[in-house]
Amino acid sequence: MAVLARNSIRELRHRPLRTALTVAGVAISTAMLADMLMLGGGIQQSFGELLESRGYELRVAPKGTLPFDTEATIPGWTALQERIEGVGGVERVAPVLAMSVSVEVEADGPEGSRGARRTLAVGLDPENRGLYVLVRGDGPGAGEVLVDSRLGEAMGVGPDDRLRVATASGFDAWGRTASVRVSGTGDFVFATVRDMPVALPLDDLQALSGLDDQVSFAMIRVGDGYDAEAVRAGIAAVAGRVEVVTLAGISDRLDERLSYFRQVAVILGSVSLFVAALLIGTITAVSVSERLGIIAAVRAIGVGRRRIVADLTLESVVLCLVGGGIGIGLAVVVAGYLESILSGLPGLPAAVRFFVLRPGSLMTAYGLVILSGAVAGLVPSLRATRLEVTSLLHREEP
Amino acid sequence: MRGAGNPIVVARRVTRDYWKGRARVRALRGADLTVEKGDFLAVTGPSGSGKSTLLHLLGGVDVATSGGVHFLGRDLARLTVEERAALRLREVGLVFQRFHLLPMLTAIENVELPLAAARVGRRERRARAAAVLERVGLADRLRHRPSELSGGQCQRVAIARALANDPALVLADEPTGELDRATSRRVLALFQELNADGTTLVVATHDLDLAAGAHRRIEVVDGTTRP
Ligand SMILES: Nc1ncnc2c1ncn2[C@@H]1O[C@H](COP(=O)(O)OP(=O)(O)O)[C@@H](O)[C@H]1O
Ligand SMILES: [Mg+2]
Repeated sequence: MAVLARNSIRELRHRPLRTALTVAGVAISTAMLADMLMLGGGIQQSFGELLESRGYELRVAPKGTLPFDTEATIPGWTALQERIEGVGGVERVAPVLAMSVSVEVEADGPEGSRGARRTLAVGLDPENRGLYVLVRGDGPGAGEVLVDSRLGEAMGVGPDDRLRVATASGFDAWGRTASVRVSGTGDFVFATVRDMPVALPLDDLQALSGLDDQVSFAMIRVGDGYDAEAVRAGIAAVAGRVEVVTLAGISDRLDERLSYFRQVAVILGSVSLFVAALLIGTITAVSVSERLGIIAAVRAIGVGRRRIVADLTLESVVLCLVGGGIGIGLAVVVAGYLESILSGLPGLPAAVRFFVLRPGSLMTAYGLVILSGAVAGLVPSLRATRLEVTSLLHREEP
Repeated sequence: MRGAGNPIVVARRVTRDYWKGRARVRALRGADLTVEKGDFLAVTGPSGSGKSTLLHLLGGVDVATSGGVHFLGRDLARLTVEERAALRLREVGLVFQRFHLLPMLTAIENVELPLAAARVGRRERRARAAAVLERVGLADRLRHRPSELSGGQCQRVAIARALANDPALVLADEPTGELDRATSRRVLALFQELNADGTTLVVATHDLDLAAGAHRRIEVVDGTTRP
């Protein structure tokens, strides 16, 4: 009812410190919960995007790994590729070498370097255009590099400019460096908002890195009318010490690995939800017990019990609405911060994101916090209105 | 037997036991009382004699352990908790020693509370609350909160709240218990005025002035009524 509700809202404003602390607690719990919900899904979604590189149903990867999983490589690739191409149903084999590199604009003048950037480089068969969509220019030929369109913008380079590319050790005297021409710019299908890869011909990247005849993984296209699983078995039989998986298989294995991650996220998320509920429950219990006399009087007057409960619960819901709203904003900020820490983890490709900002997760966190706050507020409110009115009034007498 | 009265509430041999753990407290041991329309009745008696308990039974706040209470002809023992609450909301006005106003609401909002609970529309309840507050002499304090009012003014807001739904009976439990003598006298004057206008009042009190100002007086001693 409007009149009672007004009293509740003013009670909150009347105790700014208590209200602010509760709102802050709820906000932190909500942020934690929302981030945990996004953490579970983020890794899977970015891997999913990674795998969707169009039209290649199979992957060949070093034993015990997933594409981009580690920096492990498959040695003796040329011979292996020949054997794979001999398997019935294999239409096309596209090897990829992935690694961290530094790139910088080649300066003509004495001012030297304009600042190197670390990024992901993929070495690929120049014929293989499945990993990017051209924006300007052409794909990379020998001595050329294709630059992510946003990286090109950021560095101020386009077709015909020259870049220096170095393996991860950098531009020191011992690093391996190559001077390459920008063939064009493109959008990488597996790239995420933050990473801006470059692509070189496989031979060039192998030479630059010293990883002769090695690849990180290969994508295999299965011919029309062939069963991917049968072709996979055929390749596995001739390929030796490598992993051959279908996309469905990769998804399953990813799921398995991520389930640990998700379990931890679910536990942490539940704990923070529980903490929020405890906080709201405690605060409501305190403010209800401060108001037992008033509650008894209002009940004695004849105001229905349900109205009083609804009204007291409204107070906790308002706390959750405000705290949760702030928490959602906080979740976005914290996710960005955590992402920047986690994406620096060694051994992980830049293409993997840990947090994917999904409105669904944010709304779920918000909804859960409001729901648990309502329940937590309901309990002390119900208890207060179950006490006998006469004994409350009797207790209130001087 | 009372004359050709118009009883609002009739209590017959009512008892009320409370349990403190295993110990039985016999708050009322057999009280008889009839309140007629237009009465102004003072209930006196020493502290702990059962005055408050009797008022609670008369107004349906509580139910007798034995004996019967009929309010406007209805046996309160046969009503559910919700039915008694609805009856109190419309037919019983309660005034407490400690006012029990909602501290965050203004005077007029406090008076609107029982009107809103009785589903009176916003505009009408505003008008009615303002009218009742004017009647208790607080026309110029509508927007004040209890913390901005004196004790006597708070009690008058509480009386206005009790009158809001135009109840058949107003029950006041030690209404002057927290007030000084001069203020108490003004509350008595207000009660007399309201009674003259037709309000039926039962007031439990220690205050001899207040008791003397009522039309009729009964005493409760050890849980029984004496005329
Ligand atoms: N809710 C209650 N629980 C236990 N004992 C009560 C309760 N209400 C009243 N009593 C006891 O019943 C007796 C009568 O109380 P009460 O009606 O409040 O007396 P009065 O209003 O005349 O002071 C007292 O002994 C009191 O302690
Ligand atoms: Mg009493």
